[in-house]
Amino acid sequence: MNNLVIGQFVPGSGILYRMDPRTKILMTIVYVFLLVFANSWPTYLWAAIFLLAALILTKQGLGLYWRGIKPILWLILFTVVLQLLFSGGTPVLFQWGAIKVTQPGLINAFYVIVRFVLIVLMSTILTITTPPTAIASAIESLLKPLKAIKVPVAELALMLSIALRFVPLLMGETDKIMKAQKSRGMSLSTGSLIKRAKAVIPLLVPLFVGALQRALDLANAMEVRGFESAEGRTRYRELSYGRDDVLAFIAIAVFAVGFLALSFIK
Amino acid sequence: MTDAITIKNLNYGYPEQGELFKDFNFSVQEGEWLAIVGHNGSGKSTLSKLVLGLLDFDKGEIDVFGQRLSEDTLASIRAQVGMVFQNPDNQFVGATVADDVAFGLENRQVPSKEMPAKIEAALQQVGMEAYAEREPHTLSGGQKQRVALASILALKPRVIILDEATAMLDPEGKQAVMATLKELKARYQDQLTLIMITHDMEEAALADRVAVINDGQLVFDEQPETLFLKGKQLEELGLAQPFAMALQSALGVTPATYRTKQELATWLSTLKA
Repeated sequence: MNNLVIGQFVPGSGILYRMDPRTKILMTIVYVFLLVFANSWPTYLWAAIFLLAALILTKQGLGLYWRGIKPILWLILFTVVLQLLFSGGTPVLFQWGAIKVTQPGLINAFYVIVRFVLIVLMSTILTITTPPTAIASAIESLLKPLKAIKVPVAELALMLSIALRFVPLLMGETDKIMKAQKSRGMSLSTGSLIKRAKAVIPLLVPLFVGALQRALDLANAMEVRGFESAEGRTRYRELSYGRDDVLAFIAIAVFAVGFLALSFIK
Repeated sequence: MTDAITIKNLNYGYPEQGELFKDFNFSVQEGEWLAIVGHNGSGKSTLSKLVLGLLDFDKGEIDVFGQRLSEDTLASIRAQVGMVFQNPDNQFVGATVADDVAFGLENRQVPSKEMPAKIEAALQQVGMEAYAEREPHTLSGGQKQRVALASILALKPRVIILDEATAMLDPEGKQAVMATLKELKARYQDQLTLIMITHDMEEAALADRVAVINDGQLVFDEQPETLFLKGKQLEELGLAQPFAMALQSALGVTPATYRTKQELATWLSTLKA
């Protein structure tokens, strides 16, 4: 599980690290949203150029991003096969019984790969350059308007950041319990599916009991340190937009205009 | 000297286990270093949770610096009493060391501009300032407990309760935490009351006073030097003797005074000559 790059923060020093997390989230949302409307090779090329620029600005090696894509290669392949086989249209390039591959199908399949890779890479850039806590506080800040309709935004953000903080801890604990059960003869990789599913139970029970104990302890520790409600607390890390964010907004605006222009040209 | 904590006629029992404390009386003086010892389930940890209002008691009174513990005074009492818990992992709220120290300050609505200096100062007191940006899971147990101490120190408490804070640490971590406590006590002297809940007698030896609790009853309440002479009685209560005293009784010596490891070594070398 440790080679999963999606959702992992990797410390670095590029301009993207200095940007406000809200800017990065908004940029990613705009980018992914626009990509849904990509319909021709110039639009994909334009999107790829923008992504490449962002990749370079993170100052991280490309190997890191390759590792980010690897786990979802199968998912991409599966979608590609679906596109290839069920797209229809003419001309038919290859037919074997009910299965036929058409030219539009081939083109669509290629676009699907590009779209997938671009979206995954863009979100990977976001998580690689932004610590989870910064993402949590950015989400809180962006969702602030929802307070008007009584959504407990501050509580949700605090829960999110505590949950994120416990991920490595619970992963370590799962690992430990797994080793403990294996040393007692449990096997997760042999036997029938039902048998394997049953083997998960002695893993989950101690994990849940442990997690509940942790939650109780944490609640006590928080209360003793004066926690009453997520509302009305001051902030150690305050978010503020800077010069880099202005540049970023200009960049995404230029990208959006260019993208829309290209998609109308055809 | 004034009382930091006064407990009068306290009655408390866990729902399924019946009465634990019955008309329990106890007091802690301001500025003292107190150790509360007892075997597992003796009620020593429960006592600290009662003082901080984490558990509700049935009857009795608890005063902290003259303030009666109640729903209304809870926040003000917690502002004066900090607590370090046993499991170093379960009391870390922040994603980094600095964020964790900031958590208490955020709760007290300290303006964000004042926070960095306060965090820095608190971490310096426990020697963890170089780790400010580290994530908790990259720290050792002893380092985590020192950060937990810093998180409390940042709030300028008058009393710090350590609830078996070293029980899950390796010897090195234990020593580091105890050394930090000694430094803090030397720095703040009477301004800081330390209450250490433990079953490690070597740690208890550092305190000015040791209270032994057994099944909700105060059995002994005296200085470590005299308490440790009661080796047999301590063992009957499920408590170990400090190493130096255990060694002497194994040698068949009944010492008239308490000896630390160092003193024992000197004494043994005079014997040979």
